[in-house]
Amino acid sequence: MKRFTNLLKKEIKELVRPQLIISLAFTVLLFNFIGQVSKKEVQKALGVQTISALDQDGSAASQALLKGLESAQFKVLDQSGKTKEQAIETAKTGESKLLLVIPPGFGDSLRNLQPETIETYSFMRTFSLIGARGQVVVRGVISALNEALSNSFLKEKLPDLDPQSLKNPIKSKDFVVVRDRMAEGSASMVAGLISQQSLLIPVVLMMIVMYSSQMVISAVAMEKQNKTLETLLTVPIKRTSIITAKMLAAGLVGLISAGVYMFAFKGFVGGIGEEAARAGAEAGGAALMRQLGLTFDTTGYLILGLSLFLAILVALALAMILGVLAEDFRSAQNMIMPMMFMVMIPYFISLFADINAVSLPVKIFILAIPFSHPFLVSQNIYLGNYGMIAGGLAYMLVVFVVLVVFAARVFSTDKILTMKLRFGKKKAAVA
Amino acid sequence: MDNVLTVRGLKKSYGTQTALEGIDFDVRAGEVFALIGPNGAGKTTTLRIVATLLTSSAGDITFLGRDHRKEPDFVREKISYLPEEAGAYKDMKGLDYLHFMANFYARTPEEEKDFVDRAVAITELGDRLKTKVGTYSKGMTRKLLLARALMTKPVLAILDEPTSGLDVLNALEVREIVRRYVREGTSVLLSSHNMLEIEFLSDRVALIDKGRILDSGTPEALKEKHQAKNLEEVFRSSLR
Repeated sequence: MKRFTNLLKKEIKELVRPQLIISLAFTVLLFNFIGQVSKKEVQKALGVQTISALDQDGSAASQALLKGLESAQFKVLDQSGKTKEQAIETAKTGESKLLLVIPPGFGDSLRNLQPETIETYSFMRTFSLIGARGQVVVRGVISALNEALSNSFLKEKLPDLDPQSLKNPIKSKDFVVVRDRMAEGSASMVAGLISQQSLLIPVVLMMIVMYSSQMVISAVAMEKQNKTLETLLTVPIKRTSIITAKMLAAGLVGLISAGVYMFAFKGFVGGIGEEAARAGAEAGGAALMRQLGLTFDTTGYLILGLSLFLAILVALALAMILGVLAEDFRSAQNMIMPMMFMVMIPYFISLFADINAVSLPVKIFILAIPFSHPFLVSQNIYLGNYGMIAGGLAYMLVVFVVLVVFAARVFSTDKILTMKLRFGKKKAAVA
Repeated sequence: MDNVLTVRGLKKSYGTQTALEGIDFDVRAGEVFALIGPNGAGKTTTLRIVATLLTSSAGDITFLGRDHRKEPDFVREKISYLPEEAGAYKDMKGLDYLHFMANFYARTPEEEKDFVDRAVAITELGDRLKTKVGTYSKGMTRKLLLARALMTKPVLAILDEPTSGLDVLNALEVREIVRRYVREGTSVLLSSHNMLEIEFLSDRVALIDKGRILDSGTPEALKEKHQAKNLEEVFRSSLR
């Protein structure tokens, strides 16, 4: 145990270098900074926005439209008395994001039930989505006005009837059924909320696999490059202890690094997503998910944690073998690519398709990748597919054991010194 | 004199390539035994097998009366190996490196201190041991590694080309250190293609070429047998 601790300490010290600490601190600060800037932009976009309005009509109806915009947190700059071209020029040079042109006769047309056109000119000084939000809100206001005007007209002409019933004779009431539970809500809302809840799983997995694997591969490759491996292999410590020490050190440092990056990432996403999340909660999303039983309890989190942990172990064992194949630090960097693809394939497929619904060969291919299983765990927990979960966990465990046995065999035989993979070159003869 | 190491019929192949074709030799207690021969003769392969890094394809090795293949952990406790192109962890300070290596062998903190003190004395690097290994010259690194190999007073020190790449003065110092430690009871198995160095350092030598031992004995006996002035001439004579 003393020898193992000695080696483990050395491995951790080699990984936790000033460069790593500086890089982590820099990322936290940078993400936090971007998050704060984004948050301000979002607040600005959600706050009072300046638009210009050229009211060429001056009727009560046009004034009502502008008042409606003011109540929707718009600061309206009046361009009355100008021509359309002059108004466009003035608005373009000012701070207005949008110019609204209400044509002459707008009020009269509405009274005579003639459709009238309002022109909007958006000044795109940036191509960000937040920048284009002004026009969306104006459309919302116009739509609300349309609704109010048509309602008042119907009320006037058919006072005994409810305008809503006339406009929408068929109404729908949406229910979502998940297993034995049912709740009122839309399927798209549930799918959206689930993907929001599960968003962090692939990100966490990718981060940890990326960092830990890179550390293990580099740790073995650096021993080879610095010519320290041969000496290490002749000291009185079991080969399995060498493997375990390297994997454990990389796992611990990778976990902490990923944790720090996640913290930084949360600061970044938090800046943008806070408002949206609040809106989702207000819309009753949380209550709907609770009613459908689509929330994680302690067991759920434990299963998810176990699945992530097994995926990390598989990644570390695989990285250990790849590290042996690498000749030096540079080739170790190439070795990490296949592992990245193995994590990215299930990630992208889970973004665009339902893994459970793809064709059988594709499904077998995806399930054969050990890293696919943590992606599937959360939806399998929600859907009660415990057999699938147990199968996934067992499969990852088997893959891990096979890889560790293989790695131990490689470390205990000549292969540790003779096995190598060169890109674009023939296998080297051993001296 | 008892044998520390007995090697019989040692063979090693890498796929279709044969590195050793069945070699025999013994290392006695308290002697320096050298394998000499040109590059690619099989010296490093032999040392790597004895150091438990490689496994033999055939043959028997007995170390301190025990089966070398069956008890690699026992062998690793009693030997130390200095590879030809060995390096030390560049980000470690010299002293930390010695403590790290001593920790694998020492049973108590006192023993660890003894090992490190001995290594510090061997290196003669003084305060430079408090700086990172990455800043050392080749000679300094080699002395550090040799000190690491000898500090535990191993039963058998396996030194592959111990003076490889060193200048005349550093090579001389390394040879003197090796001789001094043999007097303290460590047996040495070393390899070199520098035959003059071997003549100065070794008690007995084996001439090896293309995976076969051509001849073996004390340098004096070999010179007399082949009527040669030095081991280089002995080697040339053995090849005929």
